[in-house]
Amino acid sequence: MSVNPFDLKTVVLAKHAQHVVLIHFPIALFMVAVAFDFLAQWGKSRSLAAAAYFNLLLAACFTVPVVATGLAAWQFALEGQKLKGILLMHLVLGCVSAVVIWVVFLIHLRARRHPENSLPTYRLSLEAIAVLLVGVTAHLGGFLSGVNGPG
Amino acid sequence: MSTAVLFAMTFGVAFAGMFAGAGSLPAAAQQTPGTTEVKIDNFSFGPAELKIPVGTTVTWTNRDDIPHTAVSTDKMFKSKVLDTDEKFSFTFSKPGTYEYFCSIHPTMTGKVVVQ
Repeated sequence: MSVNPFDLKTVVLAKHAQHVVLIHFPIALFMVAVAFDFLAQWGKSRSLAAAAYFNLLLAACFTVPVVATGLAAWQFALEGQKLKGILLMHLVLGCVSAVVIWVVFLIHLRARRHPENSLPTYRLSLEAIAVLLVGVTAHLGGFLSGVNGPG
Repeated sequence: MSTAVLFAMTFGVAFAGMFAGAGSLPAAAQQTPGTTEVKIDNFSFGPAELKIPVGTTVTWTNRDDIPHTAVSTDKMFKSKVLDTDEKFSFTFSKPGTYEYFCSIHPTMTGKVVVQ
């Protein structure tokens, strides 16, 4: 089953390949956003806070195609069969991670729309939990995709 | 000992060997329908290519730590997601070449040749 990686048909119809490719974007954007937000809080930097906001915005936007392609992979590659074990954990944690990323983004959006209210400090705890969730989901995804094997 | 007797003895031994060989060859080459196992381990099917007679039941067993499937490209058979130590069996009733893959890891491929 040899495929040309630059063939458009291969790229578009490669079953769950899009999920595996797209997932890197929200992970990286969210991690960077959280790092910027922590640095902004620590250094009282507005520019870093702005950088955190825009990274969060992109991370939240990217969760949509990532969740969609993940669910599509489940429906097309596995024909929607009942999941269990690592696959089920990956699905649940992935959906929870996406929701938490959106919640964090909405907290930042709300503060941005109402400059009289400062960002709540509890968001930092939520961001730390979200990083942990994203990390565990990514670890399971990597395990499933075979980064630790020839698959 | 006459030449004729020597000739007869020589060819007699040769023919005996031929028949002995002929008798054992089909027994070694003959594959009777039964069950055969394909092990899924380390992101590969083993053996990757299997030759079996018609009527053989092939059982795929996932010995890997992560889930896999066995799905034929022509939709002839399709397993559910197999977790570690789970099995899937399919009986091949028609001759032909059946290529299959793991739908979670499409680079994992295998082939069953039914004769």
